[in-house]
Amino acid sequence: MNPRVVLRLVRKDCSLMQRPLVAYIAGALAGLAFTVWGGQVGRSAGVTLTLNVLIGVSFHVMLGPVLGERERKTLAFVMSLPVTPIDSALAKLISAFSLFLIPATIAATTLVWLSPIDIPAAMAASHRSLWSHAAGTLAYYAVVLGAWLMFFAVVLGAAIVSESVGWTIGVLAGLLFVAGNFVLQVLPNLHGVGRYLRAMGRGEAALPVTIACEAAGIAAIVAAMLILQHRKTSFV
Amino acid sequence: MSDYAIQLRGVGKRYPHYVLQGIDLAVTKGTVLGVVGPNGAGKSTLLRILMGLVRADAGRVTMLGRDMPADERWIKARVGFVSCDMALYGAATLRWHMQLVRDLHAGWDDRRATDLLDRLNLDPDQRVGGFSRGQQVKAMLLLAMARRADVLILDEPTTGLDPIARHDVLTLLSATREERSALIFSSHYTEDIASLADHVAFLYGGKQIAHAPSAELLASGKSLDGVFLEQVAALSAGRAA
Repeated sequence: MNPRVVLRLVRKDCSLMQRPLVAYIAGALAGLAFTVWGGQVGRSAGVTLTLNVLIGVSFHVMLGPVLGERERKTLAFVMSLPVTPIDSALAKLISAFSLFLIPATIAATTLVWLSPIDIPAAMAASHRSLWSHAAGTLAYYAVVLGAWLMFFAVVLGAAIVSESVGWTIGVLAGLLFVAGNFVLQVLPNLHGVGRYLRAMGRGEAALPVTIACEAAGIAAIVAAMLILQHRKTSFV
Repeated sequence: MSDYAIQLRGVGKRYPHYVLQGIDLAVTKGTVLGVVGPNGAGKSTLLRILMGLVRADAGRVTMLGRDMPADERWIKARVGFVSCDMALYGAATLRWHMQLVRDLHAGWDDRRATDLLDRLNLDPDQRVGGFSRGQQVKAMLLLAMARRADVLILDEPTTGLDPIARHDVLTLLSATREERSALIFSSHYTEDIASLADHVAFLYGGKQIAHAPSAELLASGKSLDGVFLEQVAALSAGRAA
């Protein structure tokens, strides 16, 4: 792996996605603005817009820089440069995560305004130090973005390894079905989940454990993807 | 130091419905090898194996004295590849592509690129999506040649080109043959192969059925097409017997 080559390929993907990314950021910011200042109707519109941006950017990244390269035959051009399959796969991962993270961070901010508690007001009213608020905010983003990134990494890994729209959509649908049912049906009935979530909210050990588990999950998915990529025998 | 720019020994690749097998080729430095064969003969698979885009299941591939894929990056830094099955980014300009290749290739030569832009009559600030097929092939050739590649691998570069664009491409390849160690070039147009190649390899049904100097193959006065068809007929007769 050559970091200089990987970074150049990431720059290439980001440069090709520049305009759509600006549109997604604008959409996510509009969604956030509606949620914060739009009242009841604006809040509903804002959340819908933000979710659409999140789904849109995920699909755009999968179908454009990741799966589109092979279909549009640009992968052969890239792979004819001094680039190894691992350079190419790592660059795809980094560029896809980067392109996803910006709108996702704005979407995570929108979620703050959906809480039944006025979180910014509660933070202002509390007597905790600035450092404590900053750490809590960072932890919130780490937990939310970590969960989304884990989900995104599974679908992205499927896209990079299979290079097939069918498999990618299959993995996405399967994951939504399994994860969705787990979160809605199974998780609330599990013993101690409520206590664990409250412990996370208070910043107890459950919080760093959750963040570490998410990071380990993402690392495992990336490692599995690189191993599968290494075993591939065709790169066009 | 080997006299060969490219060597393939017993190279094979197995797909569910297709097998390329027993390819033994050697391209001496300073020469041009033409690869002739019908659709499905294995020309593209062979050239992709050379370029590391497809991994061979059997045999050994050596380019400029190094093994593919063990020294993939080193080899790719010295080899240019253009294929009819390859495309540039339609939304980006040729200048954007030139910048990308320049950043990844130490051997990129700006003066050579400017010279090729003039020679091929290409506008670097035009989006590649707006180029004709002929201009796209010329742009790919520019990107491969401005990096001063030691070896050029061209997979049916003249397919789908109008006669003028085809003539331009062949003229460029002929005029610049001293600049590189070797050129390996596949085409359905046997007259293109005959005009450029010092050696010719015939592929048929995933097998190499001949590899000889083009002068030797053309000595009987027949066209390359005629010689190829004769070889295929002899092979079929041998199988029937």
